[in-house]
Amino acid sequence: MQKLISSLLPVCTVAICLILSGCGMGESRVESGNREGILHWGNATEPQSLDPHIATGVPEHKIITALMEGLVLKDSTTLEPIPGVAESWHISDDGLIYTFYLRKNARWSNGDPHNAHDYVWSWWRALQPALGNLYAYMYFPIYNAQAYYEGDLQDFTDVGVKALDDHTLQIQLENPTPYFLQLLDHYSLFPVHRPTVEKFGTADERGTRWTFEGNLVGNGAFTLNEWKINRYISVNKNPHYWDAERVKLNQVYFYPTENLTTEERMFRAGQLHYTYEVPVDKIAVYRQKKSQELQISPYLGSYFYRFNTRVEHLSDKRVRRALAMAVDRQKIADQVLKAGQVPAYAITPPNTMGYYPQSNLTFDPDQARALMAEAGYPNGQGFPKTEILYNTQEEHRKVAVAIQQMWKDVLNIDVVLLNQEWKVYLDSVANGDYAIARAAWIGDYVDPNNFLDMWLCDGGNNRTGWCNPDFDQMILEQAPKAKTHAERLKIFTQAETLLLEDMPALPLYIYVSKHLVSPSIKNFPQNILNQPSFKDIYLQAPDTAMSDITGKETN
Amino acid sequence: MAANAPTSTQVSAIPEQGTSLWQDAWIKLRKNRLALYGLAILVLLCLVSLATPWIAPYGYEEQNLGLGATAPSLQHWLGTDIFGRDMLTRIMYGGRVSLAVGFIATAVALVIGVLWGAIAGFTGGRVDALMMRIVDILYALPFMIFIVLLMVIFGRNIFLLFFAIGAVEWLTMARIVRSQVMSLRKQEFVEAAHSLGLSQWTIIRRHIIPNTLGPVIVYTTLTIPSVMLLEAFLSFLGLGIQPPQSSWGLLINYGVETMEEYPWLLIFPGIALSLTLFALNFLGDGLRDALDPRTSKD
Repeated sequence: MQKLISSLLPVCTVAICLILSGCGMGESRVESGNREGILHWGNATEPQSLDPHIATGVPEHKIITALMEGLVLKDSTTLEPIPGVAESWHISDDGLIYTFYLRKNARWSNGDPHNAHDYVWSWWRALQPALGNLYAYMYFPIYNAQAYYEGDLQDFTDVGVKALDDHTLQIQLENPTPYFLQLLDHYSLFPVHRPTVEKFGTADERGTRWTFEGNLVGNGAFTLNEWKINRYISVNKNPHYWDAERVKLNQVYFYPTENLTTEERMFRAGQLHYTYEVPVDKIAVYRQKKSQELQISPYLGSYFYRFNTRVEHLSDKRVRRALAMAVDRQKIADQVLKAGQVPAYAITPPNTMGYYPQSNLTFDPDQARALMAEAGYPNGQGFPKTEILYNTQEEHRKVAVAIQQMWKDVLNIDVVLLNQEWKVYLDSVANGDYAIARAAWIGDYVDPNNFLDMWLCDGGNNRTGWCNPDFDQMILEQAPKAKTHAERLKIFTQAETLLLEDMPALPLYIYVSKHLVSPSIKNFPQNILNQPSFKDIYLQAPDTAMSDITGKETN
Repeated sequence: MAANAPTSTQVSAIPEQGTSLWQDAWIKLRKNRLALYGLAILVLLCLVSLATPWIAPYGYEEQNLGLGATAPSLQHWLGTDIFGRDMLTRIMYGGRVSLAVGFIATAVALVIGVLWGAIAGFTGGRVDALMMRIVDILYALPFMIFIVLLMVIFGRNIFLLFFAIGAVEWLTMARIVRSQVMSLRKQEFVEAAHSLGLSQWTIIRRHIIPNTLGPVIVYTTLTIPSVMLLEAFLSFLGLGIQPPQSSWGLLINYGVETMEEYPWLLIFPGIALSLTLFALNFLGDGLRDALDPRTSKD
């Protein structure tokens, strides 16, 4: 998933909200929310889309998982698969055939019955090339899905997805895929409501109005209530949801809180139960207070810079490696970010299912200068004008400013910073309209494959123009056929070494998730994917006498 | 009493030398102490800005991550920002950008606005209607979209930024000048000038423009600060100047983010900007009084 965290604007909106709520009502939004079961959630930005087959970002993920649901869910503490729309499943002994038994009482939010045919149709839709689904490769473990997507196969009935009857779905895989159940909880494999999609356009048409307020029909615990651009998106409890009895929240409001400082103030003013981020300079303040509201936890996410290898001077891997070696990651982590982020010298976070990437990348100014001279830019002479693109947000700016100066000091090159709003930034990067772009990848499921298969040639989320057939072969052919977990990890290690050798992306640090969480949010465990389960959360006003008990250190 | 009353006109042998509008203005301005202070501060700020590359204590991009944000000290008189960069230096460099944007963009707006308004107002009729409809259309265009379009077409460039802001800010100026000119051209002294046989251009130069100067100057002094803030806003959106360069508006913007932890990051650029705005306002006030041809000569 694309990690955003973005910027400024709805400042005015937010300011007005603050003023409106500041005076007049005696009760804050959080207090009234606690009473009425309304969760106020800081969600970073206006979503790119609510279509699960188009969206790629984390903020979108949060909203979509409230509105829709896959065959299985994840336990929010252990991340183990638990029944979702499928009440049970059976896996064949060779690990190739998955049979899912769907709930008879599953319904769409308009009351329509929800059955196995919905999945066949939805997955067919997700694999239509015209839809431009950047996550299409998530389907590739399924038998023939890749061939169908790439046009080598015309008939979808040859793809390994079959509805045996209304409530039985059979999936055949190419290879045993240990993380396949986890994939089913990813929004790119969620079903969509066919009559609604077709009412507003053809199945493979992008950006139709089917996801808009009043139109969207989902199968999740909540339904879309209002979508006020740049103000909020609110979702209501879905009475047709199969597990509606267990859903305790009545409503969730998602706010596009792009400005971190404003978001933090909103939290303090009792406007939000949960913030998407915490400003760097506020962390020390909350730590000092030993506040239990500050929650910092490990996060399976990697922050890196993409190099556009189609740009002439960046097509030289010596230049890319030189740039990577000239960055002092330890300094960035300790002195710019200051929340316990871990410097990264590889793309995959260490200890992802027991996987530790091998990396020969270090902070080495001399080597960097030598490589740069070798590439034809001794002492930075003649290095073309280069831009670092980032989406507008304070933390990205700080990292970029620090790196800009490190490159100036070490390599004597001048780079320019360019910031764009989230949607514009996503477009620029997807269209290859950049030189160096800030990027991040948050685990969709816990497996190194998730961080490596995005770098396949022409992978929807590759976007660097980098292509190495050897790498593809390892990821697509060798790893899935590995007999043991250890062997599989070894192949991943080799693949990642290859990736780092060519360095289409410059690894920077491993994320931590930082949030301010109201003590009234209950049943909300942290997990390394940082995925909330809105159907489990409930709100309970804290007993004021108890709230001063010092918090746990969550570092 | 009446006996001692001074004669209102002293007839001297030499015919009185008429003073020009500008001489008059200077004499009057010299008596306005606040305006002079304003002028002095502005001149000082401009001089400092011009000399910054030679007198700045540090480089504006020189980071010292280990140092981080520190309060004012002997080494760093105005403290350092979160990258350990010297604030005094950054404010000095920021002033170069802010003052340049403020003056140049306002000058662009002034020239276009005054000419446009004067021509429309003085000519009247269809020409006036057409010109003002153009202004209306530009008004209706959301200015952000206009600037973004300019930036997208011509690329990001600081001089274009000056021009783009100026090109947006002249609209109000044109309207103000036009309404002034329209009311002036029907006044008796203009008709008198006509009947004396003065040419159109002489009338505009001698009578119309001096009479519009008051509101124009007041509006100009208001435009400069709004232009400086506009620049900060555009830069924040990635359309203006980009780090490590800075301007007062941007410094303030960043300062606001951390005003509780590191107040000096907000206070000092804020002082620099407010000082400029005060100076401009006092000077503008003084100039308006000084240049108003309707106040009596003394």
